[in-house]
Order: sequence, then structure tokens, then C-alpha cells
Amino acid sequence: MGEQWMFYFDPNRCLGCQACSVACKVRHGRDPDADEWRTVHHLRRGEYPDFEDVPISMSCMHCHDAPCEKVCPPNAIEKREEDGIVTVDRDRCIGCHYCGWACPYGAPTYGDDGLMSKCNLCLGEGPGGGAGQPERKTPEEGGSTPACVDNCVGEALKAGPQSEVMAEASRAAAERFENGVYDGRVIVEPVREDDEADALADGDGWLDG
Amino acid sequence: MSDSWRDDAGLTRRTLLKTTGVVAGAAGLGGCLSGRSPADAATGAAFKGETAFGNCWICYHNCGQQVRVRDDTVVDVTGVDGHPRGSAGAGRNGTVCPKGQTQVDKTHDPERIKRPYVREDGELRAATWDEAFEYAAQRLQAFDEEHGAETFLDATSWAETPITTQLWRNLYGTPERISRGVHVCAGPTFVAGGMMGVGSNSRVPDYQNAEYLIMWGRNVFESFAGQFEAKGVLEALENNGATLVTIDPQHTETAQKSDVWLPIEPRTDGALALAMANVIVEEGLYDETFVEERTYGFDAYREAVEDKTPEWAAEITGLDPGDIREVAVGFAEAAPSAGISVWTGTAQVGNGWKAAQNIIALNGLVGNVDRPGGLRMWQGTPLADPFEVRGVDLPNNAAGKTPALQRYDEYADYPVRHLVGIAHNLVPEMVENGHINGIYCHHDMPLKDGNAEAWLAAIEEMDLVIAVDVYWNGVSRNADVVLPEATQLEKDTLGTGSWSAYNDRQWVTGSKAAVDPQFDTKPDFDIVVGIAEAMGWGEYFPWDSHEEFIDDQLSVHDLTLAEVSGGDRNYELLGEYGYEQWTDDEGWVFRFDLDEVPAFAQAAEEAGMDTAPEWVPPGTYGDETDEEYPLEFYDTRAVFFSHGSTQARPRSREAYARRHDLADRDYRGNYLVINPRDAAERGIETGDMVAVESATGRGELMAYVSERTRPGFVTTEYGFGEGSTQPDEEGLNSMRLHDTQMDPITGQPDRHLAVDVSPTGGE
Repeated sequence: MGEQWMFYFDPNRCLGCQACSVACKVRHGRDPDADEWRTVHHLRRGEYPDFEDVPISMSCMHCHDAPCEKVCPPNAIEKREEDGIVTVDRDRCIGCHYCGWACPYGAPTYGDDGLMSKCNLCLGEGPGGGAGQPERKTPEEGGSTPACVDNCVGEALKAGPQSEVMAEASRAAAERFENGVYDGRVIVEPVREDDEADALADGDGWLDG
Repeated sequence: MSDSWRDDAGLTRRTLLKTTGVVAGAAGLGGCLSGRSPADAATGAAFKGETAFGNCWICYHNCGQQVRVRDDTVVDVTGVDGHPRGSAGAGRNGTVCPKGQTQVDKTHDPERIKRPYVREDGELRAATWDEAFEYAAQRLQAFDEEHGAETFLDATSWAETPITTQLWRNLYGTPERISRGVHVCAGPTFVAGGMMGVGSNSRVPDYQNAEYLIMWGRNVFESFAGQFEAKGVLEALENNGATLVTIDPQHTETAQKSDVWLPIEPRTDGALALAMANVIVEEGLYDETFVEERTYGFDAYREAVEDKTPEWAAEITGLDPGDIREVAVGFAEAAPSAGISVWTGTAQVGNGWKAAQNIIALNGLVGNVDRPGGLRMWQGTPLADPFEVRGVDLPNNAAGKTPALQRYDEYADYPVRHLVGIAHNLVPEMVENGHINGIYCHHDMPLKDGNAEAWLAAIEEMDLVIAVDVYWNGVSRNADVVLPEATQLEKDTLGTGSWSAYNDRQWVTGSKAAVDPQFDTKPDFDIVVGIAEAMGWGEYFPWDSHEEFIDDQLSVHDLTLAEVSGGDRNYELLGEYGYEQWTDDEGWVFRFDLDEVPAFAQAAEEAGMDTAPEWVPPGTYGDETDEEYPLEFYDTRAVFFSHGSTQARPRSREAYARRHDLADRDYRGNYLVINPRDAAERGIETGDMVAVESATGRGELMAYVSERTRPGFVTTEYGFGEGSTQPDEEGLNSMRLHDTQMDPITGQPDRHLAVDVSPTGGE
């Protein structure tokens, strides 16, 4: 039984450049116009010059409670014991979209074949590539670095076993995570010491683009 | 503008340092989760197959690439850890930015020009390489007989081999050459910086050591000269708790992450710089020792700023005088660990010369020159001259030939002739006059650099056009000879430069080709040698391969390309150098006043300018808005594109469309960014097709209504539309709106244009 893998995101370092989402598509051989497994949202508010635009990089967070897995009728989705990665067996998927409705992040995508695909933490390659793979290894153990982490220009993204990610996060981020911010699904560095972080968390006044 | 924005918490960045009380050092950021390890195709285990290196040439700044090759196909790319251009420095994760990643698709893109073409009976027909070289040689010889080789324009900018000058200048014998830097990129910044004593170093301050950074008309987080720049600023914020200031009329990612954003009225940067100097002088915050011992012309400078108070500048710039004062004092108090980064944003404008001079002068005033955290005098890396190594006795067949701009009376009214041999916007006129009759266009795209309509006509008019390119565009389609070039990962390359993540080291980066040239294409080294051999000049190019040539270049360091690109990285750090290098040169001074630079003094007199810093209002040279054309237009850069080259890449176009929430439309051109107030007046909504019209041109593109831009100020990404590499030529070629507006000193095209915008009724 391995340790749960997670993502870490530092909005103070995210440049909104989409290197992560492009790298994801390149690594997994996906078409430029395919729906993204990792996507960069921009939250905007205010009027010039009191205008703000905050980029947020999002993907499947491989949640500890995996709401998508719970609702999947044919049990195509697996929350893996060994590393916590949530994979999809496309041979079982029936394209019902229940997982998409259940997901708090809108992570599942559906291709022309109607079947679900999403981030598999680069456990395997391509849609459904994570299903049935052996336990995820860290780079130190000879495993790969997820494509999005590997090409994040601002070094805003990290991924790995929870204890290792926590060790690299700031004390404030770690405390927030332990206090259940973002439901313990992802470790996020606090934005400024102002109302922006709260506003981001509760969607106050932000237009999502 | 509102003067209360600083009280709005939303515009105040506080670093993690302040948030957590913990300094996250390099070790914390470069932890084990950031290390590079290529992925295996199928298992997420480390890739055991074939990996190769590259020097990314998408924006020609040489970030290191590590690529994965499967069945002779490049399938994935990432960075090289610790790379001087593509990482934050020693032990840090190397990355490849979104435009650099498109090199993977570009390598195998079926839309590329796949074989040579020559023009016969008015039509391009496919040819073999031998045919194409032979045809080019015949045409070049006929051209020399009919027009004279001195009327042939060498337009090679960022070729991945330096041997083009030997072919066109030394052997063919033309003095006519146009490049990018001074001519269309940031003429004022480069030339003024050179004359003032700091070269083009004003672009890249010593980020890692800086405590105060001013991004002056720069969007370093989205438009960088190598990723080390964006990473370096993040390091300064996180490790030094540095203050970041952005001066830009448009909200950018850099403005978002700044402590202070000064949303300045476009084209008024020169006034802001004078007012900052006024505060620094008045409050005695300048470096008296440096000014006294190491500068020239301070009295003229002091006089120029005497009455240029923040209140005076506030009227012009639209900024709050208190904010101007705050930034001036903050910069001066943090000096010498305070740097200004300035490049194109203040240069591509009619009054750009004085903007550059006034801004660069601030460095001399606070004495940050070549001191840690300030204006770094970066050292390039010496390379051997392979022609010398091989004892090649090159003639100089251009000796004694004067460029037409400096030779003929037709151009006597252009002050630029005192400083440069050619000006981009004057080439069409020179073609009309018969002074330029042909062009070799290689890693160059003049149709996006200024007066596009006139340039298109000039390309048509020229008697001989040789295009070396990867994609079809307005030049290659109209060429007489089309020579298809292999892309970066298909060739051996050597890269070097000055600035990097290592602020005290020289460096080289080298890569062997990851795959063979695709289709029937050739590396540029082979193309130049092929033309030379067909002309009967093979003896001057005694190398059997580009690799041999590179090895000769590296011989000065006792290195070979195989050594540089062997092992687990593709770069070498070389000589070390210290700070305050000007102490080694007793004669070195920082010049506030340029009265002792004869070429400039002459040009300035003709242009009606002083030699010392001064305020030149917008419209003195170039457009002024009026009732008919009430909006100011400027074209910009997004992180997804490199000039005009990546518009051919679907991934880049998709990312750009997503950034504007317009990916669900079929349209994949550029977007006109317009403030809601201007849009509402005209009945324009996001997604509407609009017409943009200047006094001399018109074009259509899709509107993006956003608070990101000032009321009265509209922008778009350049490199689209007519003549571009965008496969459908979709969008607006922004330079169709342009005539010959330029900085009168350097000839740098002025891209600030007076326009109006109207809906076309289309969506």
C-alpha cells in the first residue's frame, strides 16, 4: 500500500502560460483542440486600472474521496490502493457522464467516441493509459515527472506522494491543507495576505474564463 | 485614473516571504519533486529509450530541450536541468515554454515546405536540390550583371549558422544587410544604450540579486528572452522579497504580480523617466561618487530634469504624482541592487529614442551599473572564427561599397542614414528607386515588421527573391527560389549568448540533431554552402558538415559538440567574470549627454532633437489621434507566439484562443483587445468581427472586449493575417495599418498608430 499522490499549486508562481496544458497534450499525443485534461482558467474582476486577472491551473486532483468513482455505474473508475491515482478503464466506460457531474473540478473529458478520459498523473500514456499500470514511482525511484510539472515555467506545479509534497510546501500551505481548505484534495499556496485568497475560494466577484 | 488603487488590496502583491515568515530557498523549490526524468512511453517509469538534446530556436534564445524520440519521431519535449537559458540556475528544473513545445509538432508537420521550388514561366515548380542550387546561382549571376550585386539585400536574422555574411558580403559583394535588432526590434534601446556606455544590457538586469525591479514596458512573465528571465524575477520576489514595478498601459501577468503597476498613458515613458530623475536629484538620492567619477554630461541632465516634477509628469502620463515619487525613491534607495528592464515596449514608437535615453539615464544616476542586482554588463562567450582556424583567405567583395541609404541624395532627408545602413520602412522606396532589386530572406519575416502593403508590393517588384523557410507565407509564396529548411531538432546546433541564469559565467549550449532532416529539407548550413558551391565558391567552405564547423568554433575552449552535448546535459559553463567591470577601463564613462557622439549629434540636429535627455511629446514623430481616428493602436506579444513563426502551429493558436475564451469559435486569427467603454460606444461585443482602420490601411479581425486595456487604447497580437504563416492568413496583419512611421534616429518602425474601430456585422 503506497502513499496517496497529490498535486501542489502555487498561484504566486503561475504565469498563466499554458505550458502545463500544452505539455500534457504533447506527452499524451492528444490533438491541439481536444478538451484538456489540465487547463488554465483565468479569474478576472474589476475595471481598468483596478483590474485583476489571476491564472489557475486545474486538472483531476486524484481526490482522496474520488466522487467520480462513487457514481460510476460500470465501475470503470478506480481509486488505486497503491498510489491513490484515479484511473479509468475505457473498456468498461459507457460514456454516461455521471463522473463529469460528480467531479468538483470538471476534470473528466469525453472524446468523439463518447468515452471518458482525464489526467492519469502520467502513470501511463494517452486516454485510459493509467489503467492497470504498476505502482507510480517518484523520479528518485526511477519514475517519470508528470508532463505538466516537468514544463511548468514558473515552477508553480508539483506532484508526488503527499508527505513529499507537504515537505516542499510552505508552512502556511501545509496548515491550510491540514485545516481542510479545498477539502484536502490539493495543496495550494496562499495568495496574498488579503481578501483575494478567500475570494478565490468562494468565487466572490470573479468571472471564470 | 484612480489614485486610490494602492489601497485596493487586490493590486498589492505580498510575497510568500511576508505571508509565511519563511524564506523558501532554492533547495525548497528545487526539491526532489522538480527533478527531470523523462517518461517511458507506456509505464510512467523512467524512459530507457532514445533521448536527445536541442537548443530551442522557437524564439532563438536557446533554452535547453531534452526530447524523446520513438521510431525516428520526436514525441515529447522537456527542459534541461540547470540550463543557463531554460532554468533558474544550478540544480533547478529545466522547462520548455508553450511555444518551444510546438517544436515537437513542427518537426513532423505535413504542412511544411517539403522540397525545393523554382519559378518557371511565372509558376513555382518542385525541383531537386541540385536544380534549385544551380538555378539560384544562374539567377544570382544574371542579377549581378543586370543590377549589380550591391543592390541585393541580405535579410538573414536568426539563422542557426553564422556563415551567411561570408556568402553575401564577402563573396557576392553586397553591402546591403538588414537584421532584426536595431532595425525592427528596439533600435532606440540598443543604439542609445550603446552610445551611453551600457550596450543593450538594459534589457536584462541582474535579476537574482535585485531588491527592486522595474519592468518598463516589459511583460517579462509572458514575453521573455529565455525562460530564465521569468524565473529570475520570481526568484527575486521569493528569495529577496524584492519590490516589482510594472510600467505598462496594458494589464499583463507581470502587472498582476507586481507590487506597483503604473498604467501609463502610451508613449509618455520619457516624461515619467525625467520626473523620476527630478525626484532622485532633488532629494539627493543619487550616487554622487559614481556620477562625479564615471559619468559625462550630468550638468545637462540635471538641467533637463530641473522642472520636470512628478506633478508635471502626472499631467502627461495620467499617473498619480505620489506614485511617481514613491517609485523614484524606492528605486534610488534600493540602488545599486535595483534594476530596470527595458526593451521593445518603449522603443517601437516615434519618440522612442528619448524614452530610451531618459530611462537608461536613471541607471547612471543611481550608480547601479554592473553592480549586483542592478544593470549587469553581461559578457558574451568568445568563439573561434572557423575561417581563421582553417586559414581560409576570404576576399571582401563588398569593400568600398556604400549602402544606398548613405550613398544617394534621395535619402538625404532621413536622419537615420547617419547611424544605420538601412531602415526597414525605407526598403520599398529603395526598391522603387532601383537601389534594392533582390533579397535573400532567411529566418526573417519583413511583412510583420512595418508597412506590410508596401513590402508586399516590393517583394513582387524585386527581380530576384530567394526564400529559405519552413512554411509558406507572403515571402516564400512570392519567391523565385524556395529552399526548404530543416527545423531545429533536425540539425546540429551551437548556441551561446551573454545573459543567463548564471550572472557571472560565460556558457555554451550544443545539440546534435535529434532526428534526420524531414521530407526533402536541409539544415541552413548546408543550404548556404550549397549556394556557394553552385556559385563556384566551394573552396571557401572547407567543412564536410556543420558539426565540423561548430567544433572549430568551440576549439577556443578545447571542446567539441559531442562533448558539450554528451552525458546528461547539453551545456557547459565557461569563464567567470565579476562586477564593476568598468573599473578595468579607465576611459569608460556613462554618458547622459550624447553631444560627443558625432553620428548621433548630426542625426539629432536634423531631427530637431537635443543631445541630452529631454521630453519629446507623442506625435512629434508619428501619429496623433484625432476625431477621425480617435483610438491609439499598438501590437503586442503573447506567450504562445514567437514573432510571426508559431502562428502556423495549431497548439499555439488553440492556447491563444483559450486564453481569450474564444476556443469554441472557428476563427483562429488574432483578437483586437478593446476596453468595454470604447466597445459599447461602437456596439461591439466579444466575438464580433470588427474593422480597424488607420489613415493608410484597413483590416478585419475578431474583437475581445476586456478591462485589460485602457480606454482609448486597442491592441492585438502581431504576426497574423495577410502574408503571415497562419495557414489561412486569418486575422489582421497589424502592419497593414502602418505606413512609414518611425524613430527618426534609428529607423525603428513606430507601431503606435491612430485608428478607428467599427463592427462589420460578422461574428
